[in-house]
Amino acid sequence: MGLGYLTTIGTLVCIYAILAISLNIISGYAGQASLGHAAFFGIGAYASALLTLKLGIGFWVAAPLAMMAAGAIGAVVGVISLRIKGDFLAVTTIGINFVIVTVFEYSDFFGGAYGIMGIQYPTLFGVKISKGYYLLMCLGFVGLCALFSLLVSKSWLGLALEAIRENEAAAEASGINCAKFKIIAFAFGCAWAGLAGVLFAHFMRFITPNDFAFPISITIVAMMVVGGIGTLRGPILGALLMAALPELLRPLANYRLLFYGGLIVLMTRFQPQGLFGDKAFILRMLLGRGPRSMRHSGD
Amino acid sequence: MPPILRVENVAKSFGGVQALRKVSLQLMPNEILGLIGPNGAGKTTFFNTVCGVFRPDEGRVFLEERDVTGWPAHRIARMGIGRTFQIVKPFRNISLERNVLVALGHDRISGWRPSMLGTGLKAHRDEVRRLLRLVGLEEFIDQTPTTLPLGHQKRMEISRALALRPKVLMLDEPFAGLSEEDIVPLAGVIKNLQREGLSILLIEHNIPHVMELCSRLAVLNFGENLCDGPPEIIRRDPRVITAYLGS
Amino acid sequence: MVQQFLNGIITGSLYALIAVGLTMVYGILRILHIAHAAVFVGGAYIGLVAYTFTGSLVLALIAAAAGCSVLGYLIQRYLYTPMLTEERIVPLIASVGLFILCEDLFRLLGGPYIRAFKVDLWFEKIAFLEAVVTAHQVLILITTAVCLLVVYAVISKTKLGLAWQATAQDMDTARAMGVNIRQVVTFNFIIASSIAAIAGVMTAINYNSVLPTMGSVISYKMFAIVVLGGMGSIPGTVVASLIIGMSETFMSAYFGFIMPRDAIAFTAMILILIVRPQGLFGRAR
Repeated sequence: MGLGYLTTIGTLVCIYAILAISLNIISGYAGQASLGHAAFFGIGAYASALLTLKLGIGFWVAAPLAMMAAGAIGAVVGVISLRIKGDFLAVTTIGINFVIVTVFEYSDFFGGAYGIMGIQYPTLFGVKISKGYYLLMCLGFVGLCALFSLLVSKSWLGLALEAIRENEAAAEASGINCAKFKIIAFAFGCAWAGLAGVLFAHFMRFITPNDFAFPISITIVAMMVVGGIGTLRGPILGALLMAALPELLRPLANYRLLFYGGLIVLMTRFQPQGLFGDKAFILRMLLGRGPRSMRHSGD
Repeated sequence: MPPILRVENVAKSFGGVQALRKVSLQLMPNEILGLIGPNGAGKTTFFNTVCGVFRPDEGRVFLEERDVTGWPAHRIARMGIGRTFQIVKPFRNISLERNVLVALGHDRISGWRPSMLGTGLKAHRDEVRRLLRLVGLEEFIDQTPTTLPLGHQKRMEISRALALRPKVLMLDEPFAGLSEEDIVPLAGVIKNLQREGLSILLIEHNIPHVMELCSRLAVLNFGENLCDGPPEIIRRDPRVITAYLGS
Repeated sequence: MVQQFLNGIITGSLYALIAVGLTMVYGILRILHIAHAAVFVGGAYIGLVAYTFTGSLVLALIAAAAGCSVLGYLIQRYLYTPMLTEERIVPLIASVGLFILCEDLFRLLGGPYIRAFKVDLWFEKIAFLEAVVTAHQVLILITTAVCLLVVYAVISKTKLGLAWQATAQDMDTARAMGVNIRQVVTFNFIIASSIAAIAGVMTAINYNSVLPTMGSVISYKMFAIVVLGGMGSIPGTVVASLIIGMSETFMSAYFGFIMPRDAIAFTAMILILIVRPQGLFGRAR
């Protein structure tokens, strides 16, 4: 297993980590089911690919624009979530994923089923970034995304999202504008997914609609749930575990999906808080006591 | 003195069902007004219409002479109406501190202030403590509502409503499902709040306690005002007796 | 025109067979049972194996229904029931995981390629008005009609069916009234899984193919149908299935490539949900 291969896996883990953290803002913090996160991953990737290839814009300008595009369409889904709730919303987001991938697939503008080739590796001050530095850059973005997520969870915004997740009627009665914050959660979460798409497009340099299809959304959801929904460490460790493990265990390659599916079933059945969530048995074992009692040492 | 909350001829129907035909009500400053009536009289619908959960089909709602008809619930909450729910709706999986903090920080949360992304939630712990102390829950500040009995959850809801710094407090069946030894201190809490200047509107079925607590009663029946007045007069009103007996 | 209409009905019938089971599961447990598509594929494989050994389509259908009933029961008993107290998203994700697991299991057991499922019937095709109907299509229509009638009769006429209706209305009240919820849930999964299995066999012989991924498009398309039908309403689901089947056939026949046919269901669903968040035939909540 060469260094180049490890770098590739590392970069993909970073991209998935950003996806899982950003989905967690929508589903973990704000409690809104989203099974179409890969669509925004795709919007970011396609936006950046087209901006750099067709308009000749540089990576560093295209990236924030792509983020904004994904965030704006995410906000639209946020608006939809005001009317469609719960299970209906979950199915709607599957549908949105499906429709957006179809647009990529059947429109010549987006390169059709063959996707877009020849996407450029980014440059910094005119110098092409090497693979190793690209990984470092991705790690940096994971750090930024995690910091953003941490700030949200520690702020009034995070409190408002928590209230909406727990009980919308009570949140409204407590003066929280649920509509506004749901839209904010979707916009922010999807914008970060867009950034992950940018990083993916310029790393792979070749994207197809299938890279952003519904199964990818499920993978992201699974990473978040297996790690521990609602926490920050959960999605990061979940992405690390689920993106890296099947790659590192090459003999398992043929059983990759079996392993994924099995892991999801076992986790949801026996450890729905996730491996690293609050009350998770691994954390209890590592710490020797419940994380809850640790956090509330006062009582 | 003008009423603090004035509701004029509010009507609301769902599909073909007319839940509220024409209900008017005035809540005077610093009074405890009890809203009573048989099941299905439209009391909770009335609450939800006043609080902005539903938009009334007809009629107006004024808070301190300001027309708030049709405003969304969160705006009405920020204007100064705090409420509790008939079936408790705590934020189940977060601590009591954060439950109360949500409402306490409502102005910070709903306005576009820079503090929205800042920290400083901890700074309000003392204020949260004070609000929880008012309802006797200070010691549970770090526990989640799921670990507490129903009576405590109901009191937490009052504390959360108070965090809005409301002018009007609306309580939907505060005593339902509670035992006598829980009701007496809770009635004391409500009485205290009134003494401190709050105006309180409450729905309640527990007639003996309502009679004792409220200075005035309003009776709803079939989505309409039946009558209102001091408890001792309402108690003897034959229309009320008939409505309750259902004949 | 008549031909398109007929094709639409056939597609819609197959959708109805799958979606009715899903809507039944949702009606009782409020779980989005994505793994229902795995049951459907399982039915096709079991049917193929049984048909290869016995050469009888009837036996193949019975074997598929029986095998899938067991599968459905196991899913219900050991996966969903213990999860009912968790957050709503947990069983949904579990179901997705199970679907992925099963799909891969079918690939490992049955091979990643298409297997033929050729069944010869009494005749090959007949002309009907200006259209041509294959024997398989006739069989599908008859089977769908029989299955739906059986479901209707069982639910509206038997004691267990009445218990089912009560439970779908309100599980807690039904329990308080002395309904054996466990029995109802088991019965629910057996019926739902059996007709999914029959749908699997029918789809397989209609296209003369069984493959591990034959459930992947239908797994989410059936949700669009169930949502349109109002989630939990059996007649609504049947009507929605026919509407989607028809519009797919007509759209791809007359409007060509405006939209791929698999996206129609979702586009329709999203548009309709925005106007009517409770679904086309759902009651306002």
